[in-house]
Parts: sequence; structure tokens; C-alpha cells
Amino acid sequence: MSKAIEGHLFRVWLALSGITLLSYWLGSESAGGGALVSYAALLIVAIKVRVIASEFMEARRASKKLQLAMDAWLFVLLAALTAIYTFKLDMPAV
Amino acid sequence: MTTITFSPASEPAELSDKVSGAWAFILIECATFSAYFIVYMLYRMHDPATFAEAQTHLSPTFGLVNTLILLASSWQVARSVHSARAGRYDVAWRQAVLTVALGLAFVVSKLSEWGFEIQRGYTFETNDFFAFYFFLTGIHVVHVLLGFVFMGVALYKLHERDVHSEALEIAGIYWHMVDFLWVVIFTLLYVVR
Repeated sequence: MSKAIEGHLFRVWLALSGITLLSYWLGSESAGGGALVSYAALLIVAIKVRVIASEFMEARRASKKLQLAMDAWLFVLLAALTAIYTFKLDMPAV
Repeated sequence: MTTITFSPASEPAELSDKVSGAWAFILIECATFSAYFIVYMLYRMHDPATFAEAQTHLSPTFGLVNTLILLASSWQVARSVHSARAGRYDVAWRQAVLTVALGLAFVVSKLSEWGFEIQRGYTFETNDFFAFYFFLTGIHVVHVLLGFVFMGVALYKLHERDVHSEALEIAGIYWHMVDFLWVVIFTLLYVVR
């Protein structure tokens, strides 16, 4: 493994760990809670998953269709979660 | 006589059918977990007060430690895959062992957290939030255990110097999926209010 790849993987891990600390802070009382914190947390999770998929899983090396499917999955999931949260959609009565 | 030689490359040009199949499996898993996440959010919005109150009984520190452990394990398996591609199988094997060790640390941490919550009286039956908490974290741990099987096969192939094996590539893809699914679970259970 070249030093360039080793350095790249290290930086990706460091960035992911750093952004996790930010998520942890958002979840703490000092962040104040509230909708803004939740939106920030959802945005951060989208970035983290995208980085893991592209840099660690090497989705970029996958076929275009698979890469598109991975991005589409992430977009649909986060859009659905954000919509449910924003419009206060709840479980239909069963 | 034809001699087949293995020339390690850091960036293989094209994915094999096996690795493409692994990606398809990953996407199915992602769709399944998405359903869990969406149902969780719908339940949360149905009774936000109960969820918000119950959430305060979780230890965010456990969530943070779990996440940092899994991110470190993902890093190690990514290094292992690249080491193997470069033909450094001893190094790849050690990095894969470290990945499994970190996975074990995650499972131990998760079991400790469950024990901590159960001792304080919070169980699957306490309320909907804790039902989701134990379900989501439990089904995720099952996937970590399955990851050990993938990693076990990869370690065996590395030990045997099976240079044509794609076991490590597939185990790596699976392990990263386990990692990012946890990242979503961490956010939904511990952070989103």
C-alpha cells in the first residue's frame, strides 16, 4: 500500500471521527436540542455515510449503476426521514 | 504450459461478478434497514414526548464509543484491502485481525450498554422507544456477528495466500455497510431530538 493511500485512509478516518464528536455534541444538552440540531444531525449522517461509501467502500470503483443506486438510496432515506420529521407524519392507526 | 501470475494492483479496473453480487446484497440490506428507520421515525412522531423523555435515559457516551470503535474498524479493513492488493499479505492479515478485534470490542461495549440499561429497569417492554432501541441495536449486532463470518473467511484466504480470492474485498464492503448502518442508528437513537 502506497504512503499516499495510507495517508488518505488515515485522513478519512480522522475526519469521520471528528465529525462523530460533533454529532455527540449535538446530542448533548449543551447544544440545546430542538429541530435545528436534528436537521444538522441528519445532514451530518448523510455526509458520513457518503464518505464511508465512497472512500472506504470505494463505491467510485463500482459500476455506475451501483454507484447511482447507492446515492439514490441515501437520498431517498434522508429525504423520507427529514419529511417525516418536518411534517410530523406519524404511524397510521392499526 | 500456461503460468498464471498475480500482479497486485491498487486500483482494479473492473469489479467481478462476486463483488458486484456483494454490492447488490448490500443494497438489499440498506433497503431493509431503511424500512426500520422510517418506521422508527413514524413512531417517534406519533409520540414525541415519550421518545424524547426515554432518550434521555440512554448514555450518549456509549453511543460515541460504539461509533468510534466501528469507524476505527472500518479504517483497518480498508487498510487491509489495500495491503492485500499490494501483495503485503502478512500486513493485510494483521490489519484484518485488528478489524475483528475492534468488532469484538464493539459487541462487548454494546452488551455492557444493554446490561447498563436493563439494570436500571429499561427493557424491550418499557415503551416504544426502548423496543426500537433494543430491536435496532440488536439486529445491528447480528449483522456484526455475520461480519465476523465474512472476516473469518477472509482471514483464512489471507493465511492460505489465496491471491485470487475476493473474500477480503467482499468482507470489507460488508464491514463498511455495518459501520454506516450504525452511524445512522447512532444519529436516530442518540442525537435526533
